Amino acid sequence: MTRAFLFLAVAALAAAQNLQDVLKQGETVFSKSCATGYCHGARGASGGAPRLAARGFDQAFIANTVTRGVPSTAMPAFGTTLSRADLNAVVAYVASLNGVANLTTNSGPPGAVAAKLTGDAARGRDLFSDAVRGFGRCSTCHEIGGIGIAVTTPIAKVPADAAALKALATPQVSTVTVAAESMPALVVGKKANAVIFYDLTSAPPVLRTELPASIQTREGSTWRHSPVIRLYNDAELSAILTYLRTAVKL
Amino acid sequence: MRIPAFLVLALLPLSGQDAGVTHNDWLHYGGTQFSWRYSALDQINTSNVKNLLPAWIFQTGDYSEYLGSTPIVADGVLYLISASARVFALDAAKGTVIWQYRYPTPRPGIAGSHSDFIQNRGVALSDGKVIFGTRDNFLVALDQKTGREMWKVSVDDPKQCGCNDLSAPLVVKDKVIVGGNGGDQAHRGYLTAFYTKTGRLAWRWYVVPAPGEKGNETWKGDSWRYGGGSPWLTGSFDPDLNLVYWGTGNAAADFYDADRVAAGTNKSKDVNLYTASVVALDADTGKLRWHFQEVPDDIWDYDSAYEVLLMDRQIRGQMRKVLVHMNKSGLTFVLDRITGEFLSSFNVPEVFNWMTGVTEDGKLVGRNEPALGKTQSFCPSTAGAKSWNSTAYSPRTGFLYTPTNELCNDITSNATKPTEGRFFMNGDFPATLPPNRSTYSHVDAWDPITGKRIWSVPYKYILLSSMLATAGDLVFTGDPEGNFFALDARSGNKLWSFQTGAGHRGASIAYSVGGRQYIAVTTGFQQTIVGGAALGLFPDESFRAGSTLVVFALPEGSR
Repeated sequence: MTRAFLFLAVAALAAAQNLQDVLKQGETVFSKSCATGYCHGARGASGGAPRLAARGFDQAFIANTVTRGVPSTAMPAFGTTLSRADLNAVVAYVASLNGVANLTTNSGPPGAVAAKLTGDAARGRDLFSDAVRGFGRCSTCHEIGGIGIAVTTPIAKVPADAAALKALATPQVSTVTVAAESMPALVVGKKANAVIFYDLTSAPPVLRTELPASIQTREGSTWRHSPVIRLYNDAELSAILTYLRTAVKL
Repeated sequence: MRIPAFLVLALLPLSGQDAGVTHNDWLHYGGTQFSWRYSALDQINTSNVKNLLPAWIFQTGDYSEYLGSTPIVADGVLYLISASARVFALDAAKGTVIWQYRYPTPRPGIAGSHSDFIQNRGVALSDGKVIFGTRDNFLVALDQKTGREMWKVSVDDPKQCGCNDLSAPLVVKDKVIVGGNGGDQAHRGYLTAFYTKTGRLAWRWYVVPAPGEKGNETWKGDSWRYGGGSPWLTGSFDPDLNLVYWGTGNAAADFYDADRVAAGTNKSKDVNLYTASVVALDADTGKLRWHFQEVPDDIWDYDSAYEVLLMDRQIRGQMRKVLVHMNKSGLTFVLDRITGEFLSSFNVPEVFNWMTGVTEDGKLVGRNEPALGKTQSFCPSTAGAKSWNSTAYSPRTGFLYTPTNELCNDITSNATKPTEGRFFMNGDFPATLPPNRSTYSHVDAWDPITGKRIWSVPYKYILLSSMLATAGDLVFTGDPEGNFFALDARSGNKLWSFQTGAGHRGASIAYSVGGRQYIAVTTGFQQTIVGGAALGLFPDESFRAGSTLVVFALPEGSR
């Protein structure tokens, strides 16, 4: 138990360090490519082009716009001119200007993963977002390559097998109590006047915004990953893991 | 002349059915959950409507879009959503802003799919919340008092399904039910109910049954997976029967059926269930209670997704609980709403060639179908003998008021295979004007029980705005040129008209605050989809976009 927590703490620290580096890189790219007076201005505060800071943009939207540009405007498609690392960094930076809570450092152009898969990985990709499974599919909470709803942070580490996927520990899920009702929750934002969290009681998760004074939060929950993936059998989960291994590497 | 109240009661062709009537408030998309778009207010009536003047005007700021939503009014507050999901709570007497909310610009859906169009058809009000769908397919609830976001839930992934949920949700007891579009994409349509209190899922009903479910046998092979049927508008609710009524969309692919209908299928029976149907669902569980398929094997894109009007009427000497439902073809069905039994039908457009008639038990006769690789003209067009703008029903006259269009289209089918979420219409269908006419639409009054047209007022272009009927014996609607006008509900005589400055593609409502009656109308014409087609058909006209609410009342002191 202690060791697991220690591991998570170290991993979190490493992730935070990595994020700071990425944001720094993003700021550099932004100041060179985006911040001129004709365009978005320093720190996205606006220039000849629209303000980018505090616009409520989500990261996927930013990634798409940066990658593809905006047709019939001066906004170019940077997907072909910036390196993958620079593109990811500048997207994360603009997302940070918009107060995005769970920053992704690997946005990737939407659909990039989809094209080149075969065999189990291709089957896993289809299962990941299989419409027939309704809200019981992975993409109800996870986004990869522009497909899915990014309830959670991007998948960074792929479990070894179906058993490990079912046994996945989720210490980031806490318990929130609102009006005497307790629910498993993923807290994604805390501001002076609001706590924003996903209620994980049932699928799909519901993003709730509550006044800080009206809720109580405690660590840990009874929420488990295994029941929410019950519509997949072990062979299907295994195919999905094969897909994830490919997609996360890409 | 106004008719004394005791005479009105004697004239009423039906029982004292108040559930369909709005009073001071306008609480639902269709006025009430019976979807009549009828107000009991009569301060503005046939004798004084000529004095009607703007009381206040409100601009949402979405001036390059269109305003297609139906406003909601409760306790003197008007709730309005713009095309890009700016939401406003306005003082309904003065137009001043109480609060405003702006949904963040969403990530784009699949380019060219329905998820890519900027529009919204209205909010729902329940449980102290203002609830609406978004372009990126979330359902969002705001605090009715402050506009603060309370919950937000993903209905589907528009990047995958090419679909979203921009119709006004229907409030049913402790739930809010929302239909989605996407039936012209490779997609399998559904209705989804969420609890208004928490945003949690209550139930989902798929229009197209999966293998093992009844009705799946009406689909060839795997075609059910992308069978369409999306119920993309707003349904109705009968609290006494605890049934929710909804119209479902076209089968997909729209114009080519060989992959979804087995060769030799008998098309006088149900085909591709439950597309192009009216369905009755248990309000608590979402379980199907009955269905009536209006267009078996819909191969003309005549979805049946339109509004369902619930009324009690005398039929052959017996009071019946019926529903009246028009689909895109203009064929209008009267069904027993307890059982789904077919009672009668009537056909609203003057120009039609897709069938020759309907049998006494509700079956289509003389089907004329598109054929692969051949270009043929079909009427009405896929834009509809009526578009998604609603009809209205007055219990005083007993008439259904319809905005009917006379258009055709040249359909050329193809056999393209589906890709999930991408367009799956399998045909080209440029709209055309039928020959030998100088007018291409009309406002009609129909007796839905006898199927008789009582009066008809022609208009030179097409009509794409909802109807409003009031107890002042007035019928209101607007045209693409910007005229908002009132007709005498009994004769169709035009009594008043006002140029609002931009075309009409939304709705008008009636409400009252502090004893003063108001008529509010949304203005700003749609430049894409059906509105865009209209611009193409009448290239010399400029049916202008915009996003303005114009609110009329009788001048103070003149009432």
